[in-house]
Amino acid sequence: MPPVTFQSLILTLQNFWAERGCAIEMPMDIEVGAGTMHPATYLRVLGPEPWNVGYVQPSRRPADGRYGDNPFRLGKHYQFQVILKPSPLDVQDLYLDSLRAIGLDLTKHDIRFEEDNWESPTLGAWGVGWQILLDGMEITQFTYFQQAGGIDLAPISAEITYGLERLTMFLSRKSSVYDIDWVGGVSYGAIRKQDEYEFSKYYFETADIDLHWKLFDAYEGEARRCLDAKLVLPAYEWTLKCSHLFNTLDARGAVSVTERVGVIKRVRDLAVRCAQQYLESRRDLGFPLMQRNEGNSSS
Amino acid sequence: MAEYFFELLTEEIPAWMFQSSWTTPVDTALEKLCGELGGGKWKTDATSRRLIIFLRDLPLREEDREIEVKGPPKKSPDAALQGFLKKQNATTGDIIESADEYIRIRKKIAGRDISALVQERIPQLIESLRWPKMMRWGAGGHSYIRPVHSIVSIFEGEHLPVTIFGVASDVKTVGHRTLAPQPFKVDSYHDYLKKLELASVDVEAAHRKNVMVQRALVLAKQAGGVPSEDVSIWAQWQYLTEYPGVVRAEFRPEYLALPEEVLVTVMRVHQKQLPIRDRDGKLTSSFLAVLDNEGDPEGNAAYGNSFVTNARFADAQFFYDTDRRKKLEERIEQLAHLQFQEKLGNYAEKTERVKRIAIAIASHIDADLGHVETAAKLCKADLVTEMVKEFTDLQGKVGGIYAREEGLPEPVWQAIYDHYQPANVDDALPRNLVGVIVSLADRLDTLTGFFRIGLKPTGSKDPFALRRAAQGAVQILLNRDQREVRLSIGELLDLVPESAAARTDLVAFFAERIATILEASAWQFAYDEIRAVMESGWLNIPLTDLVDRISALKAIRDEADFLSLLDSVKRITNITQDHDSTRVDASLFDSDIERRLNELADLVSSQIADFASERRYREALQSFAALAPELEKFFDDVMVMVDDERVRANRKSLLMKTAHALKPIADVRQIVVDRRDYRT
Repeated sequence: MPPVTFQSLILTLQNFWAERGCAIEMPMDIEVGAGTMHPATYLRVLGPEPWNVGYVQPSRRPADGRYGDNPFRLGKHYQFQVILKPSPLDVQDLYLDSLRAIGLDLTKHDIRFEEDNWESPTLGAWGVGWQILLDGMEITQFTYFQQAGGIDLAPISAEITYGLERLTMFLSRKSSVYDIDWVGGVSYGAIRKQDEYEFSKYYFETADIDLHWKLFDAYEGEARRCLDAKLVLPAYEWTLKCSHLFNTLDARGAVSVTERVGVIKRVRDLAVRCAQQYLESRRDLGFPLMQRNEGNSSS
Repeated sequence: MAEYFFELLTEEIPAWMFQSSWTTPVDTALEKLCGELGGGKWKTDATSRRLIIFLRDLPLREEDREIEVKGPPKKSPDAALQGFLKKQNATTGDIIESADEYIRIRKKIAGRDISALVQERIPQLIESLRWPKMMRWGAGGHSYIRPVHSIVSIFEGEHLPVTIFGVASDVKTVGHRTLAPQPFKVDSYHDYLKKLELASVDVEAAHRKNVMVQRALVLAKQAGGVPSEDVSIWAQWQYLTEYPGVVRAEFRPEYLALPEEVLVTVMRVHQKQLPIRDRDGKLTSSFLAVLDNEGDPEGNAAYGNSFVTNARFADAQFFYDTDRRKKLEERIEQLAHLQFQEKLGNYAEKTERVKRIAIAIASHIDADLGHVETAAKLCKADLVTEMVKEFTDLQGKVGGIYAREEGLPEPVWQAIYDHYQPANVDDALPRNLVGVIVSLADRLDTLTGFFRIGLKPTGSKDPFALRRAAQGAVQILLNRDQREVRLSIGELLDLVPESAAARTDLVAFFAERIATILEASAWQFAYDEIRAVMESGWLNIPLTDLVDRISALKAIRDEADFLSLLDSVKRITNITQDHDSTRVDASLFDSDIERRLNELADLVSSQIADFASERRYREALQSFAALAPELEKFFDDVMVMVDDERVRANRKSLLMKTAHALKPIADVRQIVVDRRDYRT
């Protein structure tokens, strides 16, 4: 097995899923907590249109920051996200093939699928699935989406989320995330450690609480305005910004227990309206991706 | 005799669901099915992704049977009869003699092929199972525990086609997911077992468990120890895999300096790993993990499990170091930011209430007030530690450990450590009296609070686990060693002023809990014994006295004198239905029998009072039973329903007074007497 680097893993996964008909999307270009929040997942899983996609998503979790001191925890980590809609019956086998593509001889490893259901109160979404354990270590989150934006889904999407740092650490036998090679000779730490430190310092100690609350109110208002103007995609971007502001305020210790429920509800209300409006907008457009599919199947 | 074999291949089902959602309901259903088919033995099994049924010794056909069918009235026109016969596919020759006014025929029902029945019932059974968390997949048309992949259905060596959720059966299956994924055909259950064994799948859950237990013992022994005892780990492991593998891994020995409770919780609860202990029971840095593979030739699984456990422990170490920079005492103010319940305030407020109640309890019994106050004040402080935020099931324990490290006295740190105990019927009480008092105070505050804001349990709904809270309180109050709290529920509620508003509901709730707990207890009290004693007043006596009274009643209830007495009391109850005085006028007596009964009743009453005050309930009941011959004599020789109204009333009063002698201890009218048992 050739030495695995952070980027060789990304490239292998991109190629693997591209060869299986996935559109390779680019990361969402505003702050999100997980690949699930990218419109290519959260919105595309709605409605009847088939959709297969793969992309890297930098995922920010302000509260998980450790000033670059903890070898396992990061305030920002990278996910490789795959959506297969409808979920094919052989999706687990496809996933195992992707591990083989990375260079793992699965007969010499332990692979298990252990129950781990997913729920996002801020997105009004939940699914059923597993954490996939490679030799006892969680490397992937696998979810059959059941609901998004409070809407029952049909067809069902399978979501595969690879934890890229974890997987690289394990494959290259490194005991700290900062020691893995991003590319030969350049470590992950050399590229990322400074921003782990600075953002930990910012999110935990420096972020201006008043400004963040003001921004939250303003962004929420703008999201509503966009929804009223039937511009669902801009509305969803403002919603994502609200979500990130909430995470920042939370890490900063600025959200009390009583406030918490209320703020989560404000984000969820926006997310749910976006989901409903997105579905309507696709219906108005005649579900364009359906036609592509019909064209394919008749050929 | 026929055999049927069924396999449903799905995707990994959560391990905790197999027993309650597969084995138990399917065994029940198959037992019923075999009964209906007129014979057969059944076996269910499962791996992480296979559901298996094997039926054998089945009859080939159902027995033929005859039934009677009721037709039209005998006097109806012929057309009605012909229509009936035609519909039933019968002739006039099938008509039988009937006693009533209806025509009846006897009809033969041919037994069906068992295969046809199996073909109908098995898919129904599988589709009707209700798993705790169902999902949809693909087009989203079906809902089940996991997507259905393929089905094997074989009756007597032949494919018996069935369809489940749109998936048609076949005779092909696959082996282990990574070791032998190629499909192959099977022709019987035994062929299946054999081929799957070659394909690295051990189909039998019990066998997988045995193999794992053996491997665990060997691997632990090689590391100089033994696996920790752990029923719940084994229950899960056997359903986490298809191949029964176990691997040993190590964590960095410096983590052994962390509290053992933390290490064990991380391994057991979060990683489903089994710690290895040395001969003295001390934790070692080796542990065991489940492995769905025949071995670990390159050490990958050992490396991976070590890696992830070290990572977890690194986090725990971080929490531990961070937490210990601040004393528990300094955390109390943070509790003001942690909500207990919207209407019941935050944990700082709860702590204040618990402290007040605990001190009140402690001052009524012989307990160290200072220790109780400190323990109560600090008992919830660990809720704002990083350790408990991460490992919530360690609440209490973490506080106790930190208190110990801060050098607080043993009774205090143990009390903090134990105060969530007993968590269930089988759980131990807190180790010392201080812990018992804090646990009791915490429970009383929770119960009072939720009842006060109208959130008491209803039916099967008990979202705040109030029944469990009350159950724990009752367990504590039933205990009688150096941790005994000799206070009645009434006295305890008096110590919680807020309980006044909900007192009636709380008393009723406790009454129901106490009765339920006593009935299920090792004392094996019968329902009527519990009721008889509780009816005469339970609220203002310690629960240990209640138990003594019921025990005394249980011991005496089958003695001849007592049974005779019960009979007399029933008669008295009937006779005195419209009477409500126990005042007796001795001048109205006209026989020695009356005088003697009156004297005895007074004597017995005072004896019972004396015995009761000394808690000698057995003797009190015996003294009551001694009235039996006198009462019998009275009923034999004295007429109650005489014409003279004053004499009649006086005799009723005398009887009532006699029957009431035991009232302070038990209401014997509640005792159910099986008449066959007595006067023999």
